[in-house]
Amino acid sequence: MAELTLFHYIAKKTLIHGMDGRIKLICMILFTMAVGFSQKGLDLAVLTAVLLMVYMAAGLSIKRLMTEIRYFLVLIGIIVVAHSFTIPGTAIPGLPVQGMTWEGLRSGLLFGWRLMLMLIIGNIMTGTTSFSLFKNVVEWFLRPVPFIPAARVAMMFSLTLVLIPAIFDQASEMLDAQKARCIDGRKNPIARISFLAGPLLFHTFMRADEIVQAMESRCYSEVRTPTAFQTTPTDWLLLGFTVAACLMVLLI
Amino acid sequence: MNTSAQLRMMVFASLMTALIAIGGYLSFPIPLIPVPIVLADFFVMLAGLLLGAAWGSASVGLFLFLGAMGIPVFAGGASGVAVFLGPTGGFLVGYLLGALVIGWVSGKGKPSSVKDFIALLLGDFVLFGLGIVWLKTVLKVTWAKALGFGLLPFIPGTVIKMATAIILVRTLRPYLKSLLPREDEYRA
Amino acid sequence: MAILEIRHLTHIFPNGTIALNDINLSVEAGEFVVIAGANGSGKTALLRHLNGLLRPTSGEVLLEGVPIAKDLTRARRKIGLIFQNSDNQIVGQTVSEDVAFGPENLNLSREEVDRLVKEILEAVGLSDLACRQPHTLSGGQKKRLAVAGVLAMRPQIIAFDEPFVALDYQGVLQVLSQIVDLHRKGHTILVVTHDLEKVLAHATRLIIMEKGRIVRDGDPARLIGDVETYGIKKPSGESVETMTWLS
Repeated sequence: MAELTLFHYIAKKTLIHGMDGRIKLICMILFTMAVGFSQKGLDLAVLTAVLLMVYMAAGLSIKRLMTEIRYFLVLIGIIVVAHSFTIPGTAIPGLPVQGMTWEGLRSGLLFGWRLMLMLIIGNIMTGTTSFSLFKNVVEWFLRPVPFIPAARVAMMFSLTLVLIPAIFDQASEMLDAQKARCIDGRKNPIARISFLAGPLLFHTFMRADEIVQAMESRCYSEVRTPTAFQTTPTDWLLLGFTVAACLMVLLI
Repeated sequence: MNTSAQLRMMVFASLMTALIAIGGYLSFPIPLIPVPIVLADFFVMLAGLLLGAAWGSASVGLFLFLGAMGIPVFAGGASGVAVFLGPTGGFLVGYLLGALVIGWVSGKGKPSSVKDFIALLLGDFVLFGLGIVWLKTVLKVTWAKALGFGLLPFIPGTVIKMATAIILVRTLRPYLKSLLPREDEYRA
Repeated sequence: MAILEIRHLTHIFPNGTIALNDINLSVEAGEFVVIAGANGSGKTALLRHLNGLLRPTSGEVLLEGVPIAKDLTRARRKIGLIFQNSDNQIVGQTVSEDVAFGPENLNLSREEVDRLVKEILEAVGLSDLACRQPHTLSGGQKKRLAVAGVLAMRPQIIAFDEPFVALDYQGVLQVLSQIVDLHRKGHTILVVTHDLEKVLAHATRLIIMEKGRIVRDGDPARLIGDVETYGIKKPSGESVETMTWLS
């Protein structure tokens, strides 16, 4: 878990890594919408081909994709089975169990396929964008939105990512110290949760006091130097390609 | 609210988000029940109780945002937009509305354990309500099945977490309050 | 004129504890002051008054003759504070982002921020780690990053709160040589510690605090004999010059 924030991003020099983060995010949202709206297997097949191409261009490993898909396969399996049995339609003949329908199977498979493609899109985005760039991109998009303090959201985002490893280490240290004093002998779950969560919360909020002071002594302000982005012709080209691909899938 | 108090709430909320994320990795066995309980929704409850409706839901919102962006903070180390569309996605959105309801109900007037209990009850009703409706929609199963998968196995754990939260909040709330408006600081 | 002057500073915590009791202190530019004292003697509370993190119950702090309450941002730029626990001071997702935090707060131009970050990382020897995530650094590196974050504000005075706590031998050496180096480059240094053997040889002045008061103030060599009276461990050896971990 301490490696949590290292989990996805892999620094490389590829076409996709080098994109302007803002345009990359727009492209990924367009692809997600195209996946969500497509109704036919053919549409999804085209999108799969395009997305796998992008995935390869980003230099991401297929092996890692497989490890992540494993978790989703269980979910997708449940969805396919549930749909097959509950959506009315023509029964599938020649099966040991009764009640599965072609329509249900088709609907379940399409749903699973869409989830899988969204997973690939998510992986392309997070595998090629560092969290700090991601934060800057999100801040840029939030800036014109009324009632949302973009700088504050970005700061909280950073703080949380910085704090997760520190608090996690603290929690595991506390758990170990309690195991060393035979906490496993206690069966009352309320006591066990309180013994961990109570001190953990106290320590965490005590830490907050010092974080606040450290931030104030570095003149914390929400009027900050804005991030500089650079858009190249390649970015516009890739955006054009994305729009074309999505339109083609949705209109044809 | 002056800047210092606002910065403090902001740091509290970020810490709460970190705790919710870590809570997904902390599991406890309960006697007689096969599924261990995790603490993610426990910290969601505390976010509502301790930080109130606005900052509590901000903290849960940030958690969902981190997960949507691909940081493995959801159950089983999952992440991404796809999780929201999967069968368990409704519970995640339920976290957000649950924290909002808990913060709103418990924050009205003087705090008391009875009010906290009602707040948690209503909050969990919203949380499980959304979770089960979405589960039923995605899997296209009957209500009975949806309740069987999405509610029954979690009842004992939820009751335990509610009880623990009510007990802990009684000491944590005054402590947090003592940290919040420090009278010996400069007002910006 | 003294760069830093504290006049009749008293601080009473909201719970009634008297943290500081009528402190008077004047520090000249270029001094290297070690402030020693047992736990609870008020050292940390004193530091937190220097850049206006705490508000005095009575008395005032003057920076170059101007009360800091007049312009807190100025005080916070000119007096850099290094907290005891670096983990609580580092807020950036990467090393360079953390150094940029201060200058970005001041809303400097992007070019200026980038230039500062590059320059400071080189100065503290963290350039190679610029893209690393702070939690993957060693204790000594984290402390140096905390210093870098403060240096980016171009401070004249740098105050360290227990800089050697929780550092291994290498970490202590790294941080200590950095402190000595900063002093050589003209910064005024304040070090709060109860660990005299690591640093006292470099100090030009020793201040001993007890129960919120300054009880001794003067030349380290003259005061070293008395420290045990105030609950501070006296390093072995007679001469103050040996009281450093740098060889």
